[in-house]
Amino acid sequence: MQIQTTRFGSLTINEKDLISIPEGVLGFADLKSFVILEDPDDLIFAWLQSCEKSHVAFPILEPEMFMSDYKARLNKSDREALSLAEGQSSQVFTIVTIPSDVTLMTANLKAPIIVNVKARIAKQVVTQENDHPIKHPIFAELQQRVSKVVPGTKPVAKASTEQKVAVQIKKRAAETLV
Amino acid sequence: MLVLTRKLGESIAIDDHIKIVVVQIKGKQVRLGIEAPKETKIHREEVYSAIREQNSAASHVGSEDTKKVASLLKKS
Repeated sequence: MQIQTTRFGSLTINEKDLISIPEGVLGFADLKSFVILEDPDDLIFAWLQSCEKSHVAFPILEPEMFMSDYKARLNKSDREALSLAEGQSSQVFTIVTIPSDVTLMTANLKAPIIVNVKARIAKQVVTQENDHPIKHPIFAELQQRVSKVVPGTKPVAKASTEQKVAVQIKKRAAETLV
Repeated sequence: MLVLTRKLGESIAIDDHIKIVVVQIKGKQVRLGIEAPKETKIHREEVYSAIREQNSAASHVGSEDTKKVASLLKKS
């Protein structure tokens, strides 16, 4: 299927790669169909792109990229919403906000996007933990992570690629389809 | 919306397992006690509005912004 995106143009997406968010993202309740995109020109971020509104996309990061001990506890109703069986693991992403001074960028640890990769269902879970800020500064932490990496290699391992939750954007897809 | 009047110390039961008690009334403030199963999520409404605001701000980030972050991280 074909989806329109403001940032990446027209993309061809396999239907099996779609991710359904039945409850929507908070503030975007009408949008239920998404895809996670990886831009080959961007080594750090992935995008949670709406398939229904071309301009709606959220930059996302796996929390492991900037902190080692982040845990989002799911309760029974979260697991039900995600069709997650007991013991079945899920993938966690945080939504990132980047102001004009990018060093002030923050990740929302309070309400991560949890994905049941197998069933391709996701939910923005509001966690009950009090020590999960909505605006957690991450620039310094990311910088520390990147500085440890050997030049020439990817600065941060993208687990999402391995687990095939994300779709790589093929740069020429839009042109060849015209 | 269902509206109920309660006095200090009185409570409201929701379903079989949730109880909300008026613990204190002081001027314009009401303190509520909530008894609910561990599974129940309880948040001040402000938490949701702050998350909505953050989501909205994140949705305005452009792909050039994230690339700017990557290049800035590489330089340092």
